[in-house]
This record gives sequence, structure tokens and C-alpha cells, in this order.
Amino acid sequence: MKARLRAGLAWLGILLIGIVVFFPIAWGVKTSLTAPLGLGGGSGLIHLQNYRYILSQPLFLLYVKNSVIVSLGAVLAAIPMAILGGYALARFDFPGKRLSVLLLVLPLLPAIAVLVPLIVYMRRVGLYNTLLAVILANVVFNTPFAVWMVRGFILSIPIEIEEAATIDGCSRLEALWQIDLPLAAPGMIAVGIFIFINSWNNYLYAFAFTTSPELAVLPQALLRFLGAWGTNYGGLTAAATLALLPPAVLFLLSQRWFIMGMLAGTGK
Amino acid sequence: MPSTLERSTAFTRRPGWSLYLWRRYRLPYLLLLPVVLLLLLFLAWPLASVFYFSLRRTPLGEPSQFVGLDNFALLFREARFLGNILASLQYLVGVLGLSVPVAYLAAVLISSKVRGAGAFRTLFLLPWIIAPVVSAILFRTMVDPYTGPVARALETLTGRKYLFLVNPQLAVITIIVHSAWRSFPLEMLLIAAGLTSIPQELYDSAKVDGAGGWAQFRYVTLPLTKNQLFVAVLLITIWTLQDAEGVYSLTQGGPGYTTEVVGVRLFKEAFIYFNVGIAAAIGVVLIALSVLFMVFYLRVLGAGEGQ
Repeated sequence: MKARLRAGLAWLGILLIGIVVFFPIAWGVKTSLTAPLGLGGGSGLIHLQNYRYILSQPLFLLYVKNSVIVSLGAVLAAIPMAILGGYALARFDFPGKRLSVLLLVLPLLPAIAVLVPLIVYMRRVGLYNTLLAVILANVVFNTPFAVWMVRGFILSIPIEIEEAATIDGCSRLEALWQIDLPLAAPGMIAVGIFIFINSWNNYLYAFAFTTSPELAVLPQALLRFLGAWGTNYGGLTAAATLALLPPAVLFLLSQRWFIMGMLAGTGK
Repeated sequence: MPSTLERSTAFTRRPGWSLYLWRRYRLPYLLLLPVVLLLLLFLAWPLASVFYFSLRRTPLGEPSQFVGLDNFALLFREARFLGNILASLQYLVGVLGLSVPVAYLAAVLISSKVRGAGAFRTLFLLPWIIAPVVSAILFRTMVDPYTGPVARALETLTGRKYLFLVNPQLAVITIIVHSAWRSFPLEMLLIAAGLTSIPQELYDSAKVDGAGGWAQFRYVTLPLTKNQLFVAVLLITIWTLQDAEGVYSLTQGGPGYTTEVVGVRLFKEAFIYFNVGIAAAIGVVLIALSVLFMVFYLRVLGAGEGQ
């Protein structure tokens, strides 16, 4: 009896928190599927006018393309560095290793402050107002934690497997490539998804380093829609839903490893 | 591991030790080189430059000049900037006060032995992987005075109209609830990781000693999740303090300057008005605030022991 009461209370709590978590998302999706005022023609509950309108805008597709370039570029540039660095931290002892704590401390300092001089430097080296600068910023601010995540995943592989391989004549790098990476593949994919989601969601760096409207990334464009469209909630929520889908899908697909990597990264 | 470290420090006193270090530890150093170079060039160096730029005035297209502490003097004589700092502290207290209890409760619920509760660990994390500008759109849709369900429900209940982003108090509440909604999932994840590592025997023996539900929480659960709680509070404090994207998307600092937290002010000065000197000075203040809170937490909460 007491156990059933307890389970009931737990479910009540989960239900309440669930409402708080999902109501804003559900309402946004519902709004995006509602016909704009005055265009209420047609039957049924679902109207795709808002989506059709947005997807017919060539500029919207350009912003999506920019976001894909920036996010994939950041993943491709950061992952090799994170793998090599994380492997070194997991498998070697060397003087100065304690400084690796800096990888956890540096990201705690305000990125937005670092961007101020970075703008000046990007201007000087001619990278200002390019997507490359946006990619670079995403790489810089995501790599420290990515290294730490990789370290956690490599540590979870028993070193004996690697030792056996080196006895068979493998070099350390061959062991990394042929033993650790395949075994830690889901983890490495989760690290890539972590970087992808962070880059996809961010508008700070694009705002700082680009001025041309055609270089805007998706979140930056959403910010502009907010200013220009004001209360066109159907259009706004449709664009927001489209922007939300890739991170949500990637996260749900990799959630087990994603969460494991997060916890390994925060020093658990 | 300690033995190699001790041995290596002994070598630092000998001539030619760097050559020795290089020969012996070449591989790990080479593996770390790209990351270290990247962070030195694009993180450490600009971080140091923030202090340099904060002492200079840099008009667009002209050479900058040294102005000493003028930028700081200008800022701290301004009622607006003092308001920015107060707005940040208010934002921080609100977000922590709202998100930490909810996160703790959620963590207890999803780690309970009730069947199926674990699935919500993943689902409850969703707000955390949503872009700030996306969640800002969701929240603006909810509090619109004419079509937003939250504003409408309140109107039906009280008979008054609620202009959420026009009324200063309501605007502050909106940015706090929005940020708490985004922050609680990570806190929940960390606390839940602490909860699941508590061995069941501790609860059993507490029960034998006659501890009730509250006593078990007070003397077993809370002390054993202290470290995770510390990490969660530290991370959320730092992110809330430095947040610009979430607040800027929602209110752009308005109405007036009521929700213009330090991050939003910095955002405007740096990326909209291009006041490099003032922006750098605000950056220094933000770095100082972040370090202050880190040190404060380390001292007061005394966490990190046994880690």
C-alpha cells in the first residue's frame, strides 16, 4: 500500500515537471501548425501553410546551409584535435599533465568577453566577415570540453587490450586507430554531436564575426525574424520548430553516450 | 603516476632536462600540441588582450590610444551599468532559486525505483539542447497578451491583462523562468548521477537507526550529493552570469534597461555599437565576477574535497 502511494506520488511529480518541460514545446509546435489569421480555409487540424511559406523562402534555405557548413565544419576540425588530445590525457603520464585541469576551467571564463579582442584580430588577419571565423570560434570554445569527453571514453576501454596490440607490434598511434577508436566509436560520435548541437544553437559568434546578411546562421536569422515579424507566431514557431529538429533528433539518437560523455566531462 | 611526476620534477634541475623531457615524452606532447596551440592563440591570448583593450580607446579605423582606467571610471559612474550588475545578480539568484529545487526533485524522481521513471532522464534534458533563441520564441509565444496561453490563463483567473515583456517586473520574471527552464535539466542530470552512486545499504542502516524520510534525506542523500550539487550550481551560476543570448532574444534588455544584464550590455557595446574599449572593460568586470563566484563557491561550499 505504502509502495503504491509512493509510486503514485512519484508519477504525479513526473507529470507536473513533464508539463512544465513539454508545454512550451508542444504549444510552439501547435502554433506552427495553426493557419494564420484570415487564411483559415481548408479543413482538418493541421495546416502546413507556415512551413510551406518558410521553406519557399530562398533566404531561409541559405541560412540553413550556412548553419550546416558552420556546424559540420566545427565538428570536422575539432574532432581530430579532441581525439589526439584526449588520448594523450587518458593514456600517458607526463610532466605538466596537471595543467589539463585548465581545459575544464578555461571554458568557465566568459566567451563573450574573449570575442571582443578576437574581432579585432580577425579583422587584422582578414577572416572577419567569413564563415571560417565563425567555425573557428565554435572550434575554440568547444574543443576543451570535447578533449575531456574523449579522455573519459578512452579511459573506459581496458588498457590491457591496447597493451596486447602493442606486443603484437602495433605502435601507439596504430593502437589508437585500430583498437580504441572502433571500441569508443559511439562515444566519439556523441562528442561530435555535442559539438554539432552547440555550434548549431549558437548565434553569438556569428553575430560577432559576420556583418553580411547572406552569411547569417539559422539562430541569427531567427533573432532577426523576432525583430521583423513581431507577433507572426505561426511563422516564428514554424521556423523555431525546424531549427529545433536537428539537435533534438541527434540528441535522442545518441542520448546514452551523450549523457555518459557529459558526466565524464564534468569530472565525475 | 606519482612516481613519474616526481622523477620528472627532479630532472628539472639538471641542464638539458628539456631535451630529456622531449625525448621521453615526445608522443603525448605532440598529440596535445594542436589543442594547446589552438587554445593559446585563440583563447589565452585574446583573454589576456581583453585587459589590454580595456585600458585603451579604439575608434573604428583609427589607431587606439592608452586611456588608463577611463573606461572603468566611465562605466562605474553610470547608473545604467550599476543597474546592469544588479540585474545580473537578480537574474542569478532567481534562476538558482527556481531551478535548483526543481532539479533536485526531478533528480530524485527519475532515480527512484518506480518503473519507467528512468526514461524521463532523457526527455527532461530536451530544454537544455534547445537553442536559446528557439526557446525565447517559444516563451514569447506563451506570454503574448492576446494569444499566449499563460497570459490568457492569468487574465481569466484575475481579470487583469498581463503585458509580460512590457511590465518591468513581469519581464524580469519571464527571463528568470526562461533561463531556469533551460538550466534545470543539466542540474538534474548531475544530481541524479550523484544519487545513483549512493549505496542502498546506507539507507537500510539509516532506517535501522530509526531515521524517517526527512532524516534520511538530511543525513544521507544531501551530504552524498554535495559534490554534484556544487558542480551543478557552479556551472549554472557561471552560465547565468555570462548569459547574453537567452535574455537578448527574449527582451533585448528591455523594457528600458530592466533586464539588461551585464552579458546583454556587453553584447550591445561589442557587436552593435562597436565600442571596443568599453566592451573590453565590461568583459574584465564579467571575468572578475566569474572568478569571484568560483572562488566563493570553492571556499564557502568547501567542495572538491575527496575528489
